[in-house]
Amino acid sequence: MVGMKTGKRKAVLGDRVFGLVIMTALCIIAIVALVPLLSVLSLSFSSKNAVNMNAVTLFPVEFTLASWKCIFARSDMWRSAGITLASTAVGTVLALLITATMAYPLSKKEFRLSHIIMVGVIITMIFKAPIVPYFITMRSIGLYNNPLVLVLPHILSAYNLAVMRTFFMQFSKEIEESAMIDGCGPFRTLFKIVLPSSKAIIATIGLFYGVVFWNQYQHPLYFIQDTRLYPLQMKVRQFINEGTELQTLAVKANVNYTDRSLKAAIVVFAILPIIAIYPFIQKYFEKGAMLGSVKG
Amino acid sequence: MKADKKARLAALPASQRSLGANFRKYWPYYVMVLPGVVYMIVFKYIPMLGSVIAFQDYSVYEGILGSKWVGLKNFIQLFTYADFKKIFVNTLVLGAYKIIFVFPIPIALALMMNEVRQEKLKKSIQTAVYIPYFLSWIIVAELVFDFFGANGIFNQIRGMLGMQPILIMQQSKYFRLVYVISSIWKEAGWGTVVYIAAISGIDQSLYEAAQIDGASRWQRMTKITFPLLIPTIVTLLLLNIGSFMDLGFEHVFSLLTPMTYSTGDIFDTYVYRVGILQAQYSITTAVGLFQSVIGLVLVVFFNNLSRKISEDGGLW
Repeated sequence: MVGMKTGKRKAVLGDRVFGLVIMTALCIIAIVALVPLLSVLSLSFSSKNAVNMNAVTLFPVEFTLASWKCIFARSDMWRSAGITLASTAVGTVLALLITATMAYPLSKKEFRLSHIIMVGVIITMIFKAPIVPYFITMRSIGLYNNPLVLVLPHILSAYNLAVMRTFFMQFSKEIEESAMIDGCGPFRTLFKIVLPSSKAIIATIGLFYGVVFWNQYQHPLYFIQDTRLYPLQMKVRQFINEGTELQTLAVKANVNYTDRSLKAAIVVFAILPIIAIYPFIQKYFEKGAMLGSVKG
Repeated sequence: MKADKKARLAALPASQRSLGANFRKYWPYYVMVLPGVVYMIVFKYIPMLGSVIAFQDYSVYEGILGSKWVGLKNFIQLFTYADFKKIFVNTLVLGAYKIIFVFPIPIALALMMNEVRQEKLKKSIQTAVYIPYFLSWIIVAELVFDFFGANGIFNQIRGMLGMQPILIMQQSKYFRLVYVISSIWKEAGWGTVVYIAAISGIDQSLYEAAQIDGASRWQRMTKITFPLLIPTIVTLLLLNIGSFMDLGFEHVFSLLTPMTYSTGDIFDTYVYRVGILQAQYSITTAVGLFQSVIGLVLVVFFNNLSRKISEDGGLW
């Protein structure tokens, strides 16, 4: 009896230690995940002296806005930000529109082509065309050095299409039928009845599209030569790869930044919008990742 | 499959059996799918057909119709390239590393997160580890370059411990390590979402019963949670192996420097450099087609395997 009691107490203690160890480990992991971000943020706010002395780790040293003023004063940064913002906004809306209007008929049994089109979609998911013929095709339809190349190639993702189709299949048949009886055609049923009550899934899929447009890097790298058309990610790459431009900025005697702090400011500039809205939309992202069954 | 289709057709009213009748009755559906279908043809299927230039001596001026057909010449040439062997091996090794070292991390993380009882703390930890997933690879690469740079945090720590600085990013022997670390940093946190969803579906009464029987938390984790996660793990593992060749052009390319080509140059980065920048279209299309076909075989094989193992497994 007594032995059992101490055994139980030991078990409780063991569980506590176990919980504590895991919690500590996870807190360390979370901090490690944030360290590179904190470091780059602090670098962007630190003085030339502090950065050169290598004194900056996780907090700004000799706080200054010098790097930020230099970046903000550059019209090319704003131009790239504008291009990224515009392509993200236009692209996301267009992608949602095309995905929804295509997924809707594909969710209908009455539509004779739905099966064959779904097979066509799945084929594109499992067989990826080599990039060179893709490149040649894009060039021949005039998308080389054309800002439309930042939008058009991403307006439909097979995965998102499949998710939305599954969602529409589960939509209440009665509501749709009563709309049809009231004289709504498929277009009006979709836009007036179905979509307004699918806000959560639209938000989720829209956010995933938005991240793709904001972060895209391969397409501009392949198709955009004109530096005036560079989106933000390419601008970041340009400054990082051709470090000379930043170095010439930073060798001036009277400035309070270095090429490293400028790089840091550019990186923060490019990720700020995502980090800023992220906490508000996290739940949609999580929901999106769990929109499991996407089978055709 | 065929009988299935016939049965489905027979079930439809007479007016819908023929395509024409179906179109007359439901033409708005046909209009609705049109933009998407045009997109797929232009952006997916035409490039697929364009792969035939792998069997040609393609010239931009002659076009696909005018260029000379050379049969398998490009492939034969390819297999004799010293570079080809190198990029093939690099692709395989990085793919294997990804499965061995990156794949298990989200499982461990999810199991750990499940043990955190304070909801607020759990949410904060999740937020922190999810964030990197939403950054672009070029940003991640810059963070990695800065972190491992001469003045970066990594070498600061080495300095504090009295060790000489190492330039990780400029040495080919570290490239694969950097690839693995950056994959984990960016994607492992987000990878937990699926597992956490699976864990939340586990019947709570199992835990209660185990607790009454005196099982410790460690035992509950290893004897209940983990075994019940195995179907999910197997499905994801098979899908991962299926997309083995898909290492992410943006990921590898943004970490790569000429000094690390010997271990880090893969199919995708080689094709970009030689195919796009040096305009050697036919031979690099052959490389791409070789990669696509292997990719296709792997995906189909492992997808079928995963469907055999569990009913929900597989992409289709």
